[in-house]
Amino acid sequence: MSIYTLGIDVGSTASKCIMLQDGREIVSKSLIDVGAGTSGPARAIEAVLAGAGMTREDMTFTLATGYGRNSLEGIADAQMSELSCHAKGAAFLYPDVRTVIDIGGQDVKAMHIENGAMVNFQMNDKCAAGTGRFLDVMARVLEVRTDELGTLAAQSTKRVAISSTCTVFAESEVISQLAQGTDKRDIIKGIHYSVANRVSGLVNRIGVQDRVVMTGGVAQNKGIVSALEESLGHIIYTSPLTQYVGALGAALFAYQKALKMKQ
Amino acid sequence: MSLENTFKEFQAVAYNPKKCLNEYKAAGKKVIGVLPYYAPEELVYAAGMVPMGMWGSNNKNIGLAKEYCATFYCTIAQLALEMLLDGTMDQLDGIITPTICDTLRPMSQNFRVAMAKLHKMPTIFLAHPQYRRPAFGLQFTIDQYNNVRHELEAICGHEIGEEAIRDAIKVYNKYRQARREFVKLAGEHPEAVSAVNRSAVLKAGYFMEKPAYTEKLEALNKELAALPASNWNGVKIVTSGIICDNPVLLKILDDNNIAIATDDVAHESRCIRVDADETGDPMMALAKQFANEDYDVLLYDEASNQNRRGEFVANLVKESGAKGLVLFMQQFCDPEEMEYPYLKKALDAAQIPHIKLGIDQQMRDFGQAATALQAFADVLSL
Repeated sequence: MSIYTLGIDVGSTASKCIMLQDGREIVSKSLIDVGAGTSGPARAIEAVLAGAGMTREDMTFTLATGYGRNSLEGIADAQMSELSCHAKGAAFLYPDVRTVIDIGGQDVKAMHIENGAMVNFQMNDKCAAGTGRFLDVMARVLEVRTDELGTLAAQSTKRVAISSTCTVFAESEVISQLAQGTDKRDIIKGIHYSVANRVSGLVNRIGVQDRVVMTGGVAQNKGIVSALEESLGHIIYTSPLTQYVGALGAALFAYQKALKMKQ
Repeated sequence: MSLENTFKEFQAVAYNPKKCLNEYKAAGKKVIGVLPYYAPEELVYAAGMVPMGMWGSNNKNIGLAKEYCATFYCTIAQLALEMLLDGTMDQLDGIITPTICDTLRPMSQNFRVAMAKLHKMPTIFLAHPQYRRPAFGLQFTIDQYNNVRHELEAICGHEIGEEAIRDAIKVYNKYRQARREFVKLAGEHPEAVSAVNRSAVLKAGYFMEKPAYTEKLEALNKELAALPASNWNGVKIVTSGIICDNPVLLKILDDNNIAIATDDVAHESRCIRVDADETGDPMMALAKQFANEDYDVLLYDEASNQNRRGEFVANLVKESGAKGLVLFMQQFCDPEEMEYPYLKKALDAAQIPHIKLGIDQQMRDFGQAATALQAFADVLSL
């Protein structure tokens, strides 16, 4: 009889779920674009169960992760940090991964992996520079959608220098550039390099080793990925499941716990 | 009394210094605030007054103190001043302002200006020497301590005699010994002493009168020593930094089955490592006690190129049986920030995992710290 496990990643800006069969096969997944403290987690759970035609009772083990992992009391059987889950999920998708970079809504994490397990990590401090929030703020000032940033940056012909130290100052710089009539696409490219500089400083603290995998929603922005590749001097791999890697890791840990329960 | 009740009593003191101060004042006692750290509190005790530590607050925001402080001063110093301005601790009869770091040095003058402007209390300036061990360094310390002694005499209204200082040294040696023993026992019995309670017990020592505190702590130590060997199944760490006394932050350690084996925290163990001679010239004994302090970020080290402090902390982790170290990095603490690369070098060389968490006393949300600590526990459990 199959074991079904559910991983729920309640992030600061999105809620993601992955349902696994026997710790190997993804049966269903869901993503709602709002995160901790919203209806997002409940809607994501409802969607992932509906996608598989199953109920919560069919899940042998449910594990929560992400910023809002503690908010699922009564739903999740356990919770783990998103660092451990992103590392686990990335190692499932890329068994030879050694470095994982996760740019989340409000923090940046770099993890060093050995034999599929996280052995060291770094997180940013409380500053929003280099995070998904930084990109959201900049997109709002530029009157574009965050998911358009990558495409627009690809059309840039020159890069504008944007401060990499502070979201507030960087926002002022962007407004100043707009006032001077600078092309938005060049500003966006500058923003991407600003994020890349900030993130690579963090990643270098743990020592970058191939294979490097980037997880989280920001990994869908090709402009950020290529700026980061240039800054780190390493190829960065991203999965089509990049937004789900934390939830995938949670579902994998849930499977391990389900097996332990059965023993 | 049950251990839990004992911890509650320590918490009641640790979380409410204003209540302690009111009680001392109601009893007609004079009370002296003592800023961090290495001030010769023994002189306050010898004067028949009550010393109370001033290490900021976890329940206040900086408002009134902004009028006097540069923005890059650490929150510990700024919130200590805030408590003197907002009515929390302004019943004090005086404060001693050591100048042991780059914030406290100029801050001593901000305290002086603020207290004089508002006619609140005298401020007693204390400068420690950089070269604390040679004869001239010892003499400098004695001279400075005598300045403090004379200013305390002006507040208490009588001379502070040598015999009284000698007695105070004995009281403080006993106090330090009890605290060291508690740190050791708490590390051995994390099932009985949570990180939150460990901190409350140590913090209460800054506010209670020393003989009463020592007696209470020795009784607690006796109970802890009688416990059966621990069957703790979590992970043990060593904490480092200037201060880590926020119960909300410490509860994250407890929630994740992380125990503090021992510490390299200034507010906790750094300032109880060395006792003073109980015989001979008591002022020289206090000067020598300061001279014998070591392995501290804030103290000059003639052999700093050997990274002795880094190795000391790495050995502390190894000898305590801890698996890693958590550094609570106080925001705007230049000495700790500048020393960090050397500490990291020593920990890496000894293959001791560690994490650095940025904190300050105005923080109210510890979500990011919770994530990092939980992940660190996962790494240490491998």
